[in-house]
Amino acid sequence: MNNLPDLPTKFDVIVIGAGPSGSAAAYLLAKKGFKVLLIERGRGLGDKNLYGGRVYAPPIREVWPELDKEAPIQRWVTKERISMVQGEKVITFEYKAEKKISFVSYLTQLSQWMSKKAEDAGALFVTEVTIDEIVMKDGKAVGVRSGPDFIEADVVIDAEGVNRLLLERLGIVERLKPDNIALGVKEVLKTGASNIESSFNVGPNEGVAWVIMGDVTKGIPGGGFIYTNKDSISMGLVLHLKHSMNFIENGKFDEHVSKLVEEFRFHPYFRPYWKDAIISEYGAHLTIEGATHFMPSKFAYPGLLIVGDAAGLLLSTGYTFRGVDYAVYSGKLAAEAVEYARNNGGFTYENLETYDKNIRRSFMYNELFKHRGAELLMNNPVMMAKYPSILMRVMEKMFEGEYTQETIYNALMQALKEEKVGPFDLISQAFGMVKSL
Amino acid sequence: MSSAQNVEKKEEKPMKLEDILQSDIWNVDEDPHIIVDYNKCKNCPNKPCVYLCPAGCYVLSDNGIVFSYEGCVECGTCRVICPMEAITWNYPKSGKGIFYRFT
Amino acid sequence: MRIVVGMKWVPGTTSVRIDPKTGTLIREGVPSIVNPHDMPAVELALQLKDTYGGEVIALTMSPPPAIRGLEYLIGMGVDRAILVSDRVYAGADTLATSYVLAKAIEKIDKEIGKVDLAIFGQETIDSSTAHIGAQTASWLDWPYIYYAHSVKLIDNNKVLVERVLENAIEDWEVELPAIISTHMKALKPRPVRLINKIRYKVEKPLITWTNNDMKLDPRCTGLKGSPTIVAKTVDVPEVPRKKVVYKPKDGEDAAKWLIKTLMEDEKASKALIKALKEGGAK
Repeated sequence: MNNLPDLPTKFDVIVIGAGPSGSAAAYLLAKKGFKVLLIERGRGLGDKNLYGGRVYAPPIREVWPELDKEAPIQRWVTKERISMVQGEKVITFEYKAEKKISFVSYLTQLSQWMSKKAEDAGALFVTEVTIDEIVMKDGKAVGVRSGPDFIEADVVIDAEGVNRLLLERLGIVERLKPDNIALGVKEVLKTGASNIESSFNVGPNEGVAWVIMGDVTKGIPGGGFIYTNKDSISMGLVLHLKHSMNFIENGKFDEHVSKLVEEFRFHPYFRPYWKDAIISEYGAHLTIEGATHFMPSKFAYPGLLIVGDAAGLLLSTGYTFRGVDYAVYSGKLAAEAVEYARNNGGFTYENLETYDKNIRRSFMYNELFKHRGAELLMNNPVMMAKYPSILMRVMEKMFEGEYTQETIYNALMQALKEEKVGPFDLISQAFGMVKSL
Repeated sequence: MSSAQNVEKKEEKPMKLEDILQSDIWNVDEDPHIIVDYNKCKNCPNKPCVYLCPAGCYVLSDNGIVFSYEGCVECGTCRVICPMEAITWNYPKSGKGIFYRFT
Repeated sequence: MRIVVGMKWVPGTTSVRIDPKTGTLIREGVPSIVNPHDMPAVELALQLKDTYGGEVIALTMSPPPAIRGLEYLIGMGVDRAILVSDRVYAGADTLATSYVLAKAIEKIDKEIGKVDLAIFGQETIDSSTAHIGAQTASWLDWPYIYYAHSVKLIDNNKVLVERVLENAIEDWEVELPAIISTHMKALKPRPVRLINKIRYKVEKPLITWTNNDMKLDPRCTGLKGSPTIVAKTVDVPEVPRKKVVYKPKDGEDAAKWLIKTLMEDEKASKALIKALKEGGAK
């Protein structure tokens, strides 16, 4: 009874991966009447997904205008915080925003919501299946293989995520290198809604996005993050992998990475926010640093479109991170290209290539190149250590005089001397820094 | 346990990884999805996997690296950082492996 | 051959956690899985179908979320699945459960076609009674054999069952229809297949039977039909583990290291010496 001849083994489009990018593409295509197969290796409950915690809404609303009403949103971000940490010393900036453009969510729940949308729109959603290979014939993607099963399609959309094993196997991209990859390690701390609202001073649907630089990573380029969910806090660290390896090689890092996260959790400045919270989950995921180097050389190949993390579409500026909305938006562009191809004579490479062109014309591509400098800067260990250190010394001299206090000017000059930085270096570097940001 | 007055919390300390991992859920696959070529590990000077695998799947013993796949969180770090390219890495089959809920 | 295979949808064991503050079980977001010990039973059923042809039907008595488990089995290659689900079945012990399962097997036999074999797992990971196979066989008055590792058809209505006990491997000739429980380590289950999952979505080979279909006396099902009484529950204290990892060169090295390590530990060495004396081993 297993292989009945009337079972569909040919689809218009196969989408690999039911994360935000794959679900968006599958949803839009199914809505337009395409015969779509959406394949997910997890159980379809978002259970393989992990990220920092924040999603930017506007690009996603273009796909799902009902997002604000229906999606499993934990809290809207109304406060942005940036902290610099050195030992027990901390400098924190807080910005209370007016608009609500981003929200905190569990990506597991959000992915589940998105893939359900795709299924309800008519996509055939298959879970618990790992794809082994994108099948090529005469230089064109013609379907996918999982174990002994080959399923055919006019177009394959690769939404497999950051590890992009399938693209690597095809030889479209090189083996993943630590140079452009960071490791995010996260703990979800359950603490209760009222605790969050009183300690962060936010309303019932409001929350905080918080970026932490400095000591929390022991000098390894990267940083810490804190996001407030409804009744829990997502917190953790991002560590640039190449630099982590260098630190290990030079003997500057010889602990397990989870210990850094735990030390961050027990840092006296941050600890009160989640003092009695229990860990409800611990996990990790890779993220892209230096998207412009991570991108495949093309976003469209014959019969194949690459979306989301697999396409390197993740913005990391050092103070904001955008992956989910970029993923959804790339899924939208891919769906539009497939539709364009159908309406213009077929799924030829010339027609599908409009996806590549539209990605390069999109706000995302522009942003990724615009912020290229920030990535270089944030990943420079000297820069990351020097400036917070100068600032800390200035603050110390300004505020920690027991009888006398320094003028700001003197504090700065002394701090520069102690850190062996000339005033001219500071100005020129600071200018360069601002320019690249 | 004596009365409450005689009990006092002296210190709170960070948890060990093995205890933190108790918060996670797996449905472990029968077959390992990651294969490590221990022969290559022998020549690896720094063994970054021991420090950077967030689930602590790589443990240093007297005789070198010991790897266990059961607690893997499927992030892919080991494959990226392995200087010896000793790791054959795949996703688990049949929906097995880590099951995130609040991430 | 028409084979019915039993499935229980159980909470994943690693997920049972205690809230340190309240001392209660944390159940939030705990996913359920197909009882792992049912997997060898499913695999055996599928192998028999591969060899002799026929049909494999998965059967469960459970609330509707168990459909996810049935989907998994269909993904492995099971032909169709039956969910027996009704409020009057809630709170059942093994006796009331096996009664419903036996009646469902009778119903399959009558309405779908002759059942040759029903296969169950050794036990479940959430209650570990190992009752269901034996009790279902009693209700049906079918022969029953447990700890099965392999099954061969020897003529049209007889199978040769090999089972592995602690001290011997036994071969049994069993007349069909019969009930078999597999040993928990008998067979490694096959992975889910893409084509089977597509088939599940397209054909929805799933039947739900409520008590309207089953027409059982509610006094024999669910809590009412369950004579089991939970007299007392006892917390088992957690034993602190040392969690030492050792990578041996070979078996001999492993054994030497293990004995050496145990003998260095005061408690362990005493227990080991006592056990060796009592066992008479050298």
